[in-house]
Parts: sequence; structure tokens; C-alpha cells
Amino acid sequence: MADRSDLKAELERKKQRLAQIREEKKRREEERKKKESEMLQRAENVSEDSDLDRRRRETEALLQSIGISPEPPLVPTPMSPSSQSVSPPSETGSQESIDGGTVGRTLQWDTDPSALQLLADSVHGCRMQKLGASKIVQIDFMPKELVTYSKETQTPVASHQPEEEDEELSVTKSEPVPLQLEEENSQEAEEVHPRELTNEEKEQTTHSEDFLFFFDRSIRVMERVLAEDTDIFFDYSGRDMEDKEGDMQAGSNLSFNRHFYDEHWSKHRVVTSLDWSPQYPELLVASYNTNEDAPHEPDGVLMVWNMKFKKMTPEYIFHCQSSVMSVGFAQFHPNLVIGGTYSGQIALWDNRSHRRTPVQRTPLSATAHTHPVYCVNVVGTQNANNLITVSTDGKMCSWSLDMLSQPQESMELIYNKSKPVAVTCMAFPASDVNNYVVGSEEGTVYTASRHGSKAGIGEMFDGHQGPVTGISCHNAVGPVDFSHLFTTSSFDWTVKLWSTKHNKPLYSFEDNADYVYDVMWSPAHPALFATVDGNGRLDLWNLNNYTEVPSASVTVEGGCALNRVRWASGGREVAVGDSEGCVWIYDVGELAVPHTDDWSKFARTLMEIRANRGDGEEEGALELPA
Amino acid sequence: MDEDQSAEETTFVVEEITTVIKEAVESTIGNSSYQHSKINQWMSSIVESSLSQLTKLGKPFKYIVTCIILQKNGAGLHTASSCFWDNSTDGSCTVRWENKTIYCIVSVFGLAI
Repeated sequence: MADRSDLKAELERKKQRLAQIREEKKRREEERKKKESEMLQRAENVSEDSDLDRRRRETEALLQSIGISPEPPLVPTPMSPSSQSVSPPSETGSQESIDGGTVGRTLQWDTDPSALQLLADSVHGCRMQKLGASKIVQIDFMPKELVTYSKETQTPVASHQPEEEDEELSVTKSEPVPLQLEEENSQEAEEVHPRELTNEEKEQTTHSEDFLFFFDRSIRVMERVLAEDTDIFFDYSGRDMEDKEGDMQAGSNLSFNRHFYDEHWSKHRVVTSLDWSPQYPELLVASYNTNEDAPHEPDGVLMVWNMKFKKMTPEYIFHCQSSVMSVGFAQFHPNLVIGGTYSGQIALWDNRSHRRTPVQRTPLSATAHTHPVYCVNVVGTQNANNLITVSTDGKMCSWSLDMLSQPQESMELIYNKSKPVAVTCMAFPASDVNNYVVGSEEGTVYTASRHGSKAGIGEMFDGHQGPVTGISCHNAVGPVDFSHLFTTSSFDWTVKLWSTKHNKPLYSFEDNADYVYDVMWSPAHPALFATVDGNGRLDLWNLNNYTEVPSASVTVEGGCALNRVRWASGGREVAVGDSEGCVWIYDVGELAVPHTDDWSKFARTLMEIRANRGDGEEEGALELPA
Repeated sequence: MDEDQSAEETTFVVEEITTVIKEAVESTIGNSSYQHSKINQWMSSIVESSLSQLTKLGKPFKYIVTCIILQKNGAGLHTASSCFWDNSTDGSCTVRWENKTIYCIVSVFGLAI
């Protein structure tokens, strides 16, 4: 019943307001006679008089107790211009008007229904003025993109489409690049057959080996030619050199050559690994991990890029169902590309086949790897070679490229008989097939060997405070042998130089301000190595010049984190892969050319480093047996 | 309206209403997963309990309570609302609530009498 009394109180207040209005009206009754009569008429129509009478009396009583003044200024409405004079109300004022209006109240109450309506109008009227639009309240739940898998099979098409469309159909089965489609159409348009081949014949031709082979080759050639923009007016006397190689002439050591990026396949993928082809120095393979924005696309993509031609499309595109974390050209098999994936499978692609999917894959079983494989390497000689792969659960497997169904041998890399090493990177010293070094997630580096009495993990090298991201063994071959040296890069912002003979770092390079993602020795210059970090910086360190700072440094356009760095086999170019799917090629100038005395200089540099290190305090430093 | 305000608090207090609504929702579908058979019952219970709690607050307001329950299926849902009222006394509040299988949106509009 509290509600009722509340309601009543409300009503009373309204009626007080009414009383005021009515009073004003009464004063102007002469002008408002018409309205009054209307209201009177309305009054007769309503059958709530008795109720109102009751309320009237209650109101009178309550009015005495409640000293609340009625509503604030009422705005002039067409119905009651007189209300304007009611404002401003004051308690006393209202009371007075009420008192004064008591007499006339009867009159007012008679017109109650209309008064109520008036009230309503006036209330609305007064409220109308104060209304405003509120803010828009919006709620969004974003849709989830569902990954669906659908497999289509094509029954022999019994249609009479022209050749081009037939070609399109057959090519769509093997997921072509749109460019290829255009190319093939242009190709096909030229070959107008004198008679219409039957559909079976068409199918047969398009699927025949010869045709596919021809087709594949032709589109490549066409692409290269179309992309070529060599300057036929090139003047070798040097006056024209400025526009192209101005950077080189200016003496800069690191100059941007080109970058490789494919709109469709590189977008939103991180470059996880790079490798240069040993047989064709212009070929570079880059592996990419998954594109999270496109769950329907294959997770792992490999692209083989060609440095020789200016075309911006890759030579080959390969796919895999799982992200490819490491890739390498098979050293002794020029047609094969090997990739280690996130799922633990090793996939083998062949560029002789026309498939984009791997031709061979290792099984997903406990005999092989079940953890991501970050290191793949082919070691050995032409006749006796093995594929060595190490996964992050510490398992090392050795495979024969002919048979990937099971590893030839496998080994758990366990340190000190306790727990396996979580390997993130691996490197073999030059011309060594048995011993190698691995870097782990804990920041420790280990040597390991494949065969022999000490097969498995050998020594531990402690020094990094974060996971080791890259490891590189000294590669350059020259008068002095530095193959015991290796460098490591880590999340702890440093790059460290080690020798397999000491279990503590020889030197720590601390010029970086972000995670250092990769490091690699130059294959030509004994004292040169490259590092890349998360700030987009590519650094070249020449230890014969300075050991404190890099000798050359460049920040990649766009400033995204650089994930991988690889020297080309000649040591004149550096390929860098970044986190946005772009591969950048930089030319290295004079810095990369080794001089004959560089080796002896480096030997001296090493001695100095060792001497300095010996002066400093090294706890637990051990001279390890070579 | 001034004297109304001085008599009782008649501005729409968002925090208070939000609490009331959240309680109502939690008590009805707090631990449940989407079940088509029970949805109607849940919806009515949410709306009824919210409304009764709101009226118990005893404020001179008209209330409008709406409730939307969406099964989490990967679909997107977008709602928007706007009002033309007295900004000083009227207000609305919207409560979003979700669990693993249900999205629930309860909107309360309060218009001062």
C-alpha cells in the first residue's frame, strides 16, 4: 500500500499544479470561456467524479501536512499560456494559490479530467522542453570465423566450354596463383585448334606430363621476361652508375637491393627460416608460418625466390598443413627442399613435381619427432649423406632422404642424465659431420656428437640469460682454422662469441636493444658476422675493426622485427626475413671482401679478446679438451 | 521535478541498477549452459526478478527491462538504442554478461515519473 500512497502523493502534487493553473485561468475566464465550456463538456463525459471527489478531500488534508511546493515553472503551452505566470513557484506561493484556489477548487475539480489531461499536456509540455537525446548505447558481439573443411571432387565435366575455361578448371584443382591463370589464358588463346577436341582429349592433353611440364616452364619464362626492366641504354663508362648504384659508390657497406613479398602468401606470416641454394646461388627459399587471419589457407608456406630476375613472384610455392619452422635445400639433391614443421613432421618437396604439397613426409609417430622441429641440416658427402633434424623435445633424428618413413637413427639429447635439452637451434662446424652445437630454450649451449663413445650431449656452455635464438659456426675457410668458434644470439639482447674449448663465452656483444633473433658468420670473411634483432636492425660486425659496435648497421624499412638472417654463399649478399612476411636482400660492399691478412688479423683479435677475458673474472671457466 | 528530487533521489543511478540486474542474471543463469528447453523460463525469470527488484527500490520511475540471450555459436550480434527523454533524471543501463555458452544482454530504461 505504500505504492498507493506514493501514487496519491504524486497525484496531489499534480493537482496543486493544476490548482495554480486553474487560478490563472479563472482570472482570464473571459478570454478562456470557450475552453472552459469545452472542459466542462469533457468533464461530463468522464465518470470518475466520485473518485476525484474523494481524492480532493484527501488532498486537502494532505496538503496541510505536506508543505511541498508544486512543480517548478510550467512552460507555456498552447493549452495554458497562463501557466507562465505560475513560475516561479514557491512554497508559500503555491500554498497561497492553493488556499486561494480552494474556493475555486470545486470548479477546478469539476474540470478534473480535463485538468488531468491538461496536466498531462502541461507535464508533457514542460517535459518536452527538457528532453534531449541520450547517447546511443551499442552492444557488439563479433562473429567467430569458423574453419570449415570441404573437399571437392570433380566428375568428368560434360560441358562444351571453350579451352580456356577447361584449363581454368583443371588448374583450379591445383590451386594456382591468379597470375598463372592469366598467363595460361594468354598462352591458350594463341593455340587455336583447327578442330574441336572432345572433352576427353582435352582432359588428357592438359593432364599429360609433357603439357604440364611445358606449361610450367613457359609461365616461368614469361614472368621473368615480363618483369625484366634492364636498361638498354646502360652506359658502362660509369656516368650512368649513379642512379643505380649510388649507394655503393657512396661507400656504404650495406645497401638495400630488393625485397621479396607476395601479397597473397606472405601477408601476415612470419618468415621462420631462410636458405640459399648451394647449386644455384640466386635461389633463396623462405619458409613462413601460419597466417592467423586466414584459417582456411595452409598453415605452412614455402616460397623459392629468384634473385636473378626482377619478377616479384616466387619461382615455386609450396604448402604444408603445419607451419614450417625451418627449411633447407637438400645439399646434394638440387631438386629437393626440406622443411621441419611445427607438428614435428619433416616434409620434403620436389620442384620436379607439379604439386605444391610435400612429396614425402615423415610419420607423426613417437619414432620420429612429435615436437616442433627448428633445425634441419643435410650433412655428409654426395654419396653418404644424412638429414639431421632436432626437435624441441631434445630428440635428434638422422634420416636418409630416400626413405622418410622412419629415421635411420634417433637419439635423445639429455644433459647429465637428467632432462632433455629443448633445442632451438643447431649448427655444424665446417666439414664436421659428427660434432655439432645446439642452443636451448634455457639459454645454455651444448656440444653434441652423433657417433662415438660420447654420443649425445657433450659439454655445456653457460652464459646466456635467455633462450638461444640462433647459433652459427665459423664458416670461412682460410689460412687459419677458426672452426672452433661459434656465435650465439639470444633473447637476453646479447650475442656471444664462444670457442668449443672454453665453457664460458669469449666475448659478449651488447650493442642491441631488443631480442636478437639470429646470427650468422660470413662464409667468406673470417671476422664478419651478421645479426638481426627485434627492432628491425641488421648489424654487421667486423671483429677486425671494432668489437664494441657493429661496423655497419641498417634498420629495415618498416621497422618490424627481423627473424632470420642468412648470408649468400658468396658472402656478398645478406637475406633477412622479417615478422611481416617480407624477405629483404641487402648487398654488402667492401666490408664483405676478405683480404689475405684478415685471417692473421683475426687471430690476433682473438688473442686480444682472450687476454682481456682472462683479466676479467670468469668463474668456473674451464679449459675444455679440444 | 525539483521538489521530487529533493523529496527522493530520482535520478537514475546506474551503479545501483547494474548491481540489481547482475544479481538477477547470476541467480538465474549463473552456472547454466545454453539449453533451449529452459531458455524461456530463464528469460522470464530474469526480467521478472529484475523488475521486482527495481520496483522494490521504491523510486518514482517507470522501468522497461529487456533481456536478450544469445547462444554462443560464432554468430555476431549487434544492438543499439537511443532515447529521447530528460537527460537529467532519466537513464538507461545495459548489463552484458556471458559465460562459455551464453551471451546475455539486459537493458533497463528508467523514466522518472
